[in-house]
Amino acid sequence: MDPSRRDVLLAGLALQVAAFLPRSARAEAERPSPEEVMATWYRLVLELVRHTPTYSPPVASRAFAYLGISVYEALAQGKAPMVSLAGQLHSLKPVPAAVDPLAECDEAVLLHSVFADAVRIFFSNTGPTGQRAMKAMTDRLGAKVAAGLSPEVVERSAAQGRAVVDHIVAWSQDDGGAVIENMGFPLDYEPSRDPGHWRPTSTIAQQQAPLLPNWGTNRPFAMPSPTACTLPPPPAYSEEKGTEFYAEALEVYETVRNLTPEQTAIARFWSDDPMLSTTPPGHWNQIALEQLEIENAPARRRAEVMARLGITVADAFIACWQSKYEYDLVRPVTYIKKVIDKTWEPLLITPPFPEYPSGHSTQSGAAARVLTAIWGNNFAFTDTSHEDDGLPSRSYPSFWAAADEAGISRLYGGIHFRSAIDRGLEQGRCVGAFAVALKMGAQA
Amino acid sequence: MRVIAVALPSMLLAGPLAAADLPLIPSFTEETTTAGVDSIYSGDWEYMVGGGAAVFDCSGDGFPDLFLAGGEGKAGFWRNASARGGQLRFEKTESGLELDHVTGAYPLDIDSDGIMDLVLLRVGENLVMRGEGQCRFTPANSAWGFDGGDAWSTALAATWEKGNSWPTIAIGNYIDRTQDAFPWGSCTANWLHRPNVGGTGFAPPVALEPSYCALSMLFTDWNLSGTPSLRVSNDREYYKGGQEQMWKVLPGQPPVLYTKDEGWKYLRIWGMGIASADVTGDGYPDYFLASMADNKLQTLATPLKEGEPVPGFADVAFARGATAHRPYTGGDVRPSTAWHAQFEDVNNDGWPDLFVAKGNVSDMPDFARNDPNNLMLMDDQGKFHEVGDKAGVASMAVSRGGALADLNLDGLIDLVVVNRHSPAQIWRNTTIGAGHWLGLKPVQAGANPDAVGGWVEVRTGDRVQRRELTAGGGHASGVTGWWHAGLGPVDQAEVRVIWPDGVAGDWEQVAADTLYVIDRDKGAQEWTP
Repeated sequence: MDPSRRDVLLAGLALQVAAFLPRSARAEAERPSPEEVMATWYRLVLELVRHTPTYSPPVASRAFAYLGISVYEALAQGKAPMVSLAGQLHSLKPVPAAVDPLAECDEAVLLHSVFADAVRIFFSNTGPTGQRAMKAMTDRLGAKVAAGLSPEVVERSAAQGRAVVDHIVAWSQDDGGAVIENMGFPLDYEPSRDPGHWRPTSTIAQQQAPLLPNWGTNRPFAMPSPTACTLPPPPAYSEEKGTEFYAEALEVYETVRNLTPEQTAIARFWSDDPMLSTTPPGHWNQIALEQLEIENAPARRRAEVMARLGITVADAFIACWQSKYEYDLVRPVTYIKKVIDKTWEPLLITPPFPEYPSGHSTQSGAAARVLTAIWGNNFAFTDTSHEDDGLPSRSYPSFWAAADEAGISRLYGGIHFRSAIDRGLEQGRCVGAFAVALKMGAQA
Repeated sequence: MRVIAVALPSMLLAGPLAAADLPLIPSFTEETTTAGVDSIYSGDWEYMVGGGAAVFDCSGDGFPDLFLAGGEGKAGFWRNASARGGQLRFEKTESGLELDHVTGAYPLDIDSDGIMDLVLLRVGENLVMRGEGQCRFTPANSAWGFDGGDAWSTALAATWEKGNSWPTIAIGNYIDRTQDAFPWGSCTANWLHRPNVGGTGFAPPVALEPSYCALSMLFTDWNLSGTPSLRVSNDREYYKGGQEQMWKVLPGQPPVLYTKDEGWKYLRIWGMGIASADVTGDGYPDYFLASMADNKLQTLATPLKEGEPVPGFADVAFARGATAHRPYTGGDVRPSTAWHAQFEDVNNDGWPDLFVAKGNVSDMPDFARNDPNNLMLMDDQGKFHEVGDKAGVASMAVSRGGALADLNLDGLIDLVVVNRHSPAQIWRNTTIGAGHWLGLKPVQAGANPDAVGGWVEVRTGDRVQRRELTAGGGHASGVTGWWHAGLGPVDQAEVRVIWPDGVAGDWEQVAADTLYVIDRDKGAQEWTP
């Protein structure tokens, strides 16, 4: 990793840690800035996503989107040039105006209030440790941001934050994704037995049904409809040698049998398994958060970036899941064991849902489209997301290079055919355009 | 030295499993209110794991006594006052074990004096408690040089390494409990307490790093090499970059992890409890790993490679019906949370059955709140059948540790379960028509009197049941004393012990429905209370 970037990040983390210093030491520390409040809460959110079973990638993407929108809308209230997303996102009405728009409102307290409420609600399924951590964060950071302010300002700012979250939560309840049962695995689902269709790929009993078969019918955010970026069918299913389908399967088979160390590293780096990582949406959140920390971005820019990213990745999962269950395609491991080599095993654990298109590819394409619009075509960066897990950082010349690598990582991992990757990236690019088109205005 | 003398019943070999008759469903009668045991595992976050039971005889009357962890509250000891074959009765007795912050306990005759000692796992300093006789215990950390540390201890395994007269004790530790805001990734080091070289007592512990928040450990001779390895089941909720582990622990050498290159297979689960038994009948131990929604039943993936087992395991839980992933009664359809697991033959049909204690961690909405304990009977084809509700042990309490043991010496395995925030429960096995049985207690002079690390073998016809004598595993709970074997319809059997040094005792003819002390020097001797 670039040493200068590393230093900036470490400085940022030091500020976050300061929020949890012993009481005597905290008294000497400065009141956290709005930016520090955001960075600290996002750090916790990424841990909650990782450690809460509900947060499969689609579910995580939804929570990230609503959190990002809540934060953005709280800051955008009457703060030109920021433009509310009300009227731009499906069914979102204007958030309630502040009781007294001219009265002093503290941005750090406002943001802390938004995060404390939104995280408690949108990440509510976390277990006792997550609940304990949320409470610790709410109490300790809350005390710190309030230090030195009048009680009236604190209460006014916090109330405004709570009002925004209440509004967003009410809006979220009928989008189709608010209630997740059995971690998203239906209790009564009979997979098709027709050739070419998805079959269970694991011996985990819960995963004999596929994940979230109705997620593709959810209400999108910025995308006009779940089918706005629909895809052509995958290559026609065939078990005959010489067909396009067989050729794609053979490519996966041969690639996995002859993986280079670099290909293996790529597959592992983008694996992003639920409950063992921050999930694929969380991974792109980490990338964006790292760049915002490096540039020491102001709170409003951070809010806009995280909202746009959250929106597009959530839309990407809706679009992708719509296509997945439209085509219900078999996974490579099922096909290859049946047709090519019954002893073959993929490098990665095959996710428990249909193959086409690749979710990694769709969401990475959407994320790259948005982040490229923000930072430019040739924005080189280093991704340190997995250092805690012992995976070395990786550097990219652009967001698209990272997205392309995320896509092909699934072929190296033996869990996707090439068409699912290529068309997934295309689908993501299409989805991303809707989030890019949102009028927000805080970046300037 | 390796001793393998195993007949392989063809029905248990790999391959499609045929239909089998449902085994005899046992009957358990809950005697919690009449048995005199009143204990609650209490406490907040630091006691969300743990909640162990220890079952061992410290009075010398042959009946297993009972120690239950109390968490934030005081642990308790109950002396067994049951009559043979009668209702379960225990008397709470001052023992010196009435300590707080205890998460679990394992019996182990550490100083090999023939009086059982106890290792207490705690939030804080772990304690080795020396048995003084007549169920009195005193702390012996200082006397034995045992550094109890200051951690959140949650797992234990012990063995006698070759050449040592004192045991080696592995302790598993959990989260850094000071990190309440960001505890993830804060797993603290596990410890390996080895004996002092050439002397008594323990050397300073060695850190078993990397450590990944262990919730169960077991020294087990997985490859029948004569030298057990240390399996560690880890909680993926808290580690980063972690996985399940198995350490090579060779005498006089630092412990070394088995690697992918050697065949170790990467597995990441919410590891909470290890149970072992020879389920497949191939002579090698198989392992049930308790987790959340995703329990594993592991057999050797490649039994032999160039004559040697490879340290890789395949999950056969789904194929054998032992997933226990969701409540089977009570209407809660969310996934289960599994803790203590233990194989015992509860209907004496000669096949190992599996008990799993279940209970939500604490307000985890993704997982079942009404989560009944499992009792899965294995049939003669190697498939498991859930009968917890029919057998009467489908408690909806939030269970943690537990123990299966013949508490009233009637030849039927009884059950005690520790619950979080509610009273521990105790059941007497009252099955009518169960098969014949044996209770066997190997003893040897000198170090390691209970033959930890040895094997008991029971031969009936062309079949040999093998049982590894272990100290550890389960969830914070340990049992020692009579090792139980069901015999089915057979009224006599042959038994022998493979002693921890690898020497095989002679096969001896024994009568069913009898308790035997198998003395290394004197052979099998019938025992009556």
